[in-house]
Amino acid sequence: MTTDDVARENGTRDGAERIVTDVVCSFCGLGCDDLEVAVRGRTIRPVKACAEAGRLLARKDAPAPAPRIGGRDATLADAARAAAGHLKASRAAAITGLGADLDGLSRLFDMAMVTGASFDHAASEGLFANLERLSRRGWIAATLAEVRNHCDLLVVLGADPDLSFHRFFERAVPARGADALAAPLFVEGRRRVVVIGDILSEGARRSLAGHDLVEIVVPPAEVALAADGLAALLAGRRVEGVPALDGAVGEGLASLAQALKAAKYSVFVWNAATLGRRDAASVAEAAAQAVDLLNPTTRSAVFPLGGRDNLTGAHQMALWRFGYPLRTAVGGGVARHAPELYASATALKDADLMVHVSAFRPDAPPDFGRGPVIALAHPDTVFVREPDVFIPIGTPGVDQNGHVFRMDAVVCLPLTALRPAELPSVAEAASAILESLRRAA
Amino acid sequence: MTTRITGGRVFDPTNGVVDQVRDILIEDGRIVAAEEHAKAADAVIDASGCVVLAGGIDLHSHIAGGKVNLGRLLMNDDRAKFPEPFGGVLCGCGGGRAAPTTHATGCRYSEMGYTAAFEPAMVGANARHAHLEMADIPNLDTGGFLVLGNDDFLLRMIAEGEGQQAVNDYVAWMLKATQCCAIKIVNPGGINAFKFNGRTLDFDEAGPHYGLTPRRILNTLQRAVTELGVPHPIHLHGCNLGVPGNVKTTLATIGATEGWPLHLTHIQFHSYGTEGDRKFSSGAVEIAEAVNANPHISIDVGQIMFGQTVTVSGDLMSQYRNHGIADPKKWIGMDIEMDAGCGVVPFNYRDSSFVNALQWAIGLELFLLVEDPWRVYLTTDHPNGGPFTSYPHLIRLLMDKPFRDAQLARIHKAARAHTRLAEISREYTLEEIAIMTRAAPARTLGLKDRGHLGAGARADVVLYREEADREAMFAAPRLVLKDGDIVVRDGAVVALKKGRTFAVHPPSDPLMDKRMERWFDEAVGLKSKHYQIADHEIRGGEGPELVATAPESAR
Repeated sequence: MTTDDVARENGTRDGAERIVTDVVCSFCGLGCDDLEVAVRGRTIRPVKACAEAGRLLARKDAPAPAPRIGGRDATLADAARAAAGHLKASRAAAITGLGADLDGLSRLFDMAMVTGASFDHAASEGLFANLERLSRRGWIAATLAEVRNHCDLLVVLGADPDLSFHRFFERAVPARGADALAAPLFVEGRRRVVVIGDILSEGARRSLAGHDLVEIVVPPAEVALAADGLAALLAGRRVEGVPALDGAVGEGLASLAQALKAAKYSVFVWNAATLGRRDAASVAEAAAQAVDLLNPTTRSAVFPLGGRDNLTGAHQMALWRFGYPLRTAVGGGVARHAPELYASATALKDADLMVHVSAFRPDAPPDFGRGPVIALAHPDTVFVREPDVFIPIGTPGVDQNGHVFRMDAVVCLPLTALRPAELPSVAEAASAILESLRRAA
Repeated sequence: MTTRITGGRVFDPTNGVVDQVRDILIEDGRIVAAEEHAKAADAVIDASGCVVLAGGIDLHSHIAGGKVNLGRLLMNDDRAKFPEPFGGVLCGCGGGRAAPTTHATGCRYSEMGYTAAFEPAMVGANARHAHLEMADIPNLDTGGFLVLGNDDFLLRMIAEGEGQQAVNDYVAWMLKATQCCAIKIVNPGGINAFKFNGRTLDFDEAGPHYGLTPRRILNTLQRAVTELGVPHPIHLHGCNLGVPGNVKTTLATIGATEGWPLHLTHIQFHSYGTEGDRKFSSGAVEIAEAVNANPHISIDVGQIMFGQTVTVSGDLMSQYRNHGIADPKKWIGMDIEMDAGCGVVPFNYRDSSFVNALQWAIGLELFLLVEDPWRVYLTTDHPNGGPFTSYPHLIRLLMDKPFRDAQLARIHKAARAHTRLAEISREYTLEEIAIMTRAAPARTLGLKDRGHLGAGARADVVLYREEADREAMFAAPRLVLKDGDIVVRDGAVVALKKGRTFAVHPPSDPLMDKRMERWFDEAVGLKSKHYQIADHEIRGGEGPELVATAPESAR
C-alpha cells in the first residue's frame, strides 16, 4: 500500500481517530488476527491487544528518523551506497536478526547471495533445539485449529505459555462457546490440561477456567527429566531410582501416562526458547517419543511453541530458496549449511561485517567489534555503539504490508499497513543496497 | 519482436499437425497465424534436424508448499549430494534432486523443455505459502489444485444434508479464496477419519465422525466441479493407496463415477492385486481395460523410478501406515487446520526389491496398455515415485522396446515373472509423447493458449535435436522458448523469466461469505478475510491468470 492509499483510507492524515479491526499480529508467532487499534495520522493506540502486542504496535506521531552514516544523517541512497561499500570490502559477512517479513527476507537472501554471507535469526535457538529431533527423526504435529477442535488433553512441558504467548490458551484450547460452530467441535466433556513445570500464572488460570487443570510442579532444571520419565512410562518402562521423579511427581506422571493412553487426541506443547539448548532438545525428543508411543492406538501430536518476529517464515524461505534451514552461508555460487558455524553467536566471532535486521522490535544488535555494522532496524533501537550505517525501517503490519508465518508453519498471514509509510521497508532498504552493489560491480 | 522458427519437424497434435516441416512465427510472445508468415522476422531460428513441440506441461508434480519444505528438511543429505551446478548470475539458489529448491525446480524443468507444472495438493490453509513459493520458481507457469474432501466444513455440510447448490457455493468460494485452478481429493474422508483414529477407510465404508462414505464425498465434489464448470475434473488420489488388493477399490471408483468425468492420479499406486506367493501382484491389465472402456476417465501414472526420493502426500492415513519402511528412518506427519493433513516419508526404491521392481513394471504396463494418449499423462508423481528429472529416462522406456527390455532384465527376478511387460511390444511415438506431455494436460486443465503451437498460443516452444537415444534427446533440448524468449540453450538455462499462476474464480452466493466468516471465527480461530488470498498477493502484484469456467447451465 502506498502512502497515498493509506492516507485516502484514513480520510486525511490529521483526521479523526479511526478504529481498525482484525489487525494481524506478527510479534510472538501465535498469529492472532483480531486485534484492534485506533489510528490518527501516524499515531497508533492499541485498543484490543495483549500487553506485548500493544507495546509493539503503539506509535507516536514522531517524525521518522533519517538514515545515518557514522552517526550523521544521510539520505537512503547515500546510506545504501555506504552499506554497499562496506559489503563489497567484506569477505565474511554475517546477517543477524532477520526480523523481517517474507519480502524483506527474500531481498536479504539476495544480498547474501551477491555478497556472500551467513544468516541466522535472533530467535532461532529454540528452533534448532527442536530441529535436532524434527530433521533427524521427524514427528507428528498439529496446527492451531486442530488443537482447538480435537485436543482433549493438553500437556504443557516447561514454562507457562502465557508468559511469551499471552493468548495461547484462549486460542488453542478455548472453553466451549455458545455458537454451534464454536471450537471445540470434537471434544466431549471438559478438556484436561496437565502442566509439567512451574505453577501457572493468574492469566493462564483465567484462560483455563473451563478445563480440568493438573499441575505437576517441577523446577525448570528438571523438566527435561520429567518429560523423559513420561516417555519412559508410556513405553512401559519404570522410572524408579530417579530422585526427581519420586513421590508426587512420579505419581502425577504415572497418572498422566494412563490419561494419555485413554485420551482421544492429546497434544504436547513446549517453548524450546525457555529451556536451554540441551534441555529443549531433550524435551522435544521426549514429546515426539510420547507421540510415537501413543499413535499406534490413539491420536496424539506435538505443537511446539516459538516463532517470534517471523522466525518461521525465515526458516521456511531458507528451505525453499536454499534447501537448508537457517544458519547457512551462501555465496560464490554455493550454499553451506553448518549450524555449529553459522549460528549468529559463532558466526560473529569470524565475521568481518554484521548486517543486523530487526523490523518488528527495537532490539539492539549483538555486540560486534570486528568490523562495520550495518543496521536495518526499528527506529527506536538504542545502540550501544553507533552503527556504521543505520537505516531505520518500517514495521510490517504497521508501516507496510507484508507476509509472516504463524508458529505452526502452515498458516502464512497477510499484514496490512496501518499508517502512511515514511520509513522504507526491509525490502526497500535491502533493494537499495543491492542496487548500489550492482552499480559498483 | 518477431521470431521465425524454420525447418523443424513440428508435432502439434491439438491442431492436427503431426511431423510436418513448417515454420512457426512468434510475435510479442505469442504464436501468430499462418497468413502473417509473409512478414520478415527480426530473428530466425534454424530448426532443421529438430523436432518442434510446445512447452511441456506437468499436471501433477509436488513442487511447492509446506509438505515439500518438510521434504527438503528431511532430505538435507540429498540436497548436499546435488549442489548448485551452475555459476555466475543464475546461481546460489540451491539444488537437491528429490526435493529441489524453487530455483532448481524451475531450472531443471526448463532444461527438459517444460514450461508449466502444477502443484496437485494445495491445502487451503497453506495455499498462501505455496503460492509464494511458486512465485519463486523461474521459467515455469504454475497452478495449484485445492485439496478438498477431508475438510470439516464440507463433510459437515454433506452430513447435515445440505443441498448440492450450497456445496457448489462452498467449492467456488474456496477455489477463489485459495487461488487454485482445480479440485483434488486425497483419500476422500480418510485423512479426516485418521484425526478420529480411523486407520482405514474403504470406498463404501462410512467414516468415523460424519458417517460419510468416500463414494458420497467423491460424487458430491464431482457434481460440484461439473456444475461450476471447472475445466479439470476431480483429480482423485483414491482410497487405500499402496495397499495390495487396492485394484478392487480403484475399479469400484471407476464404476462409481456415474458418468461424471474423473481423473485418477498416480494410478500405479492404486493398481495392486494380491495374487502370487508374495500376495502382491499387478492389477494393471484390469485397470487399463477399465480406463479404455470408460472415455470419461483420465489417469496419470505416478511411475516409480529406482533410487532415493521422498514421498510427500496429503494422505497422512496412508503415510502413517507406511512410515515403518521409511528410508532413511525418519518421517513427519501433520494434521492440518480442519482442511487436510500431510505425511512426508523418505523412500529408496530398489530394483533388487520384489515390491519396488513390480511397482516399476506396473507403472509401465499401465502406460503401455492404456490406448488413448489423450487420457494418460506422464508423471512420476514427483517426488513420490521419483524425481521429475527422470522424465527423459521414462520417455525412453516408453519409446524404446529394446531399452525397456534391457532395464527389465536388471530388476528382481521374481518380479519379472509377475509382469507382462516383456510381452508388450508397443513403443510410444513422438506424436503420442507430444500429446501426453503437452496437448492433453493443457486440454484437461482448460489452458486454451498452452500445449499447442497454433495461432494465439503463448510462444512456449521447444526444439529437441532428433536423436535415436530418446533419453539424451529429451534431457537436453537445443532451445527452449518461454513467451518467445530463449531461456534454455543446449540443455542449459541461459535466462530466467517469471512464470504465471493459473486460477479459476467461479462465482459463489455472497451468503457463503457470511457463513465462512462465522466458520472461521468460531471453529478455525482465524479471520476468513485473512484466509482468502487477494489477487494482488499472487506473484508480487501480477495477479492470477484466470482460466475460463464453463458452468453446466451454459453448456
